[in-house]
Amino acid sequence: MSPETIGIWVAAFFTLSIFSFLYKDNPFFRFAESVFAGVSLGYYIWQTFDQTVVPNVILKLVQDKPAAFVSWDWWTLIIPMLLGLILYMRYVPKIAWVNRFALAIYVGYYAAVEMMQKLQGEVLPQSADTIVSLTHGWGEIGVWFGAIVSTIGVLSVLVYFFFSAEHKGFVGSVSKVGIWFLMISFGAAFGYTIMGRISILVGRVVFLMSEWLKLG
Amino acid sequence: MGFFQRLLNLDRRWLYLLVGIIAIIGLKAPLKLPIKVTEEVQALYDRVESLEPGDVILVSFDYGPSTAPENDPMADVLIRHALTRDLRVVALALYPIGGAAEGIEELRRCVGEDLNPSEGVLASSVFEGKSYGVDYIYLGYKDGGLATMRQMNDRLHETFPADYFGTPITDYPLGRDVTGYGDVAFCFSVATGIIGEWWANLVNAQYGLPVAVGCTAVSAPKYFAYYKAGQMFSLLGGLKGAAEYEGLVRSNYDRIEELTNADVYNASKASVIQAFVYSLITFFIILGNIGFLLERRRQRNL
Repeated sequence: MSPETIGIWVAAFFTLSIFSFLYKDNPFFRFAESVFAGVSLGYYIWQTFDQTVVPNVILKLVQDKPAAFVSWDWWTLIIPMLLGLILYMRYVPKIAWVNRFALAIYVGYYAAVEMMQKLQGEVLPQSADTIVSLTHGWGEIGVWFGAIVSTIGVLSVLVYFFFSAEHKGFVGSVSKVGIWFLMISFGAAFGYTIMGRISILVGRVVFLMSEWLKLG
Repeated sequence: MGFFQRLLNLDRRWLYLLVGIIAIIGLKAPLKLPIKVTEEVQALYDRVESLEPGDVILVSFDYGPSTAPENDPMADVLIRHALTRDLRVVALALYPIGGAAEGIEELRRCVGEDLNPSEGVLASSVFEGKSYGVDYIYLGYKDGGLATMRQMNDRLHETFPADYFGTPITDYPLGRDVTGYGDVAFCFSVATGIIGEWWANLVNAQYGLPVAVGCTAVSAPKYFAYYKAGQMFSLLGGLKGAAEYEGLVRSNYDRIEELTNADVYNASKASVIQAFVYSLITFFIILGNIGFLLERRRQRNL
């Protein structure tokens, strides 16, 4: 039996074990679930070490050793590496407080980076795209209709999430329209979710029938 | 107990079984469904067609085995399309749980299962005259997500000092030619989750690199907002998007048609099965709603 064949049989066993949950919870499912979680974590740790830590940190430090302390590049490796190691100090109770320094730097760094990214890459372009002209699309009825729907949808959903005014009278009516827009968008998202889940099922069915049982 | 009442009380496991049976019937059905190509998919095809031979595209494997049935066909058809058009492909992976494995698996499926640069097997057994390091290269996985993407802008050689196989990327002509986003025509992120978004809201927004994303269906509604706002020039949404692009490329390139037909799994085949299962689900949704309304009416009349 070739290693490939063994791999296919193992994969088929785990696929069927996971599917067995559809009938009811059972030890095969629990076993497959635990193996999957363990293997995923082990794989992640190894990939990060092999593909990132070794080429980007260890090999660079070893190769650049002669230029060591005078090189800024060398320090740009050492400082983050030390910060990373400091994070593990939380497991040493007496000096656990040290890890907060590293954590504070990471949080600060990512808050700043994310803030710019969100503003420049999401808030501004998405807001700009929401501000649609109701007159540009006169020539094309579809574009015009889309702009109208978009405008009504954005405004009514915003009203729905505006809790400073009681949802009665005019505000209540508009917020009800907002609920409809929300429900339709949730429905579309749910439809896509089913599409995704069925695709995954299709992948497994093709594997079981074609690669394992050789029937397709 | 009436028919609809019995249906409402039906053990859901019968439905699971029925879905499984229908999926198997779909697999065996000798059908080829017509697929209408949407503008967001056509845009990717047109962009690849518009590039000059030798141009470089970046393919980022931002997904793992859990969504492979949706994402694999997208990556396969794009790489085949690009190599057929004599474009050069730089592949990399940013998804931690299996991105690296998906990258090498799909690259091998496209250029030849025997690809093994560590042992000097560089030439493609599928695309005559194409070779690893000249026409395509696999940089492997890099941890860090956003930080990695930022550094890649102008310091690609620092971010990826070595390829997936541990060879310095500057040992290869293609590795030397590409130093950052400025040397790349566009990036195609084959994504599950958030990494495809980062290509749009970080790389496209801050560095101006044109971005296309092939995402899972679950993520598609969110990604459409980026596409509509012009932050990505193309979007393949789930298996449907993959089937559209695959169909478009297959109808124009006989060689790719032949290669895709040889695959055990491809988007066209999967979309037929998907259509069968959808039909069943739609039928049960309608039936369930009729049953629910009738039951409600019956209870009101009591």
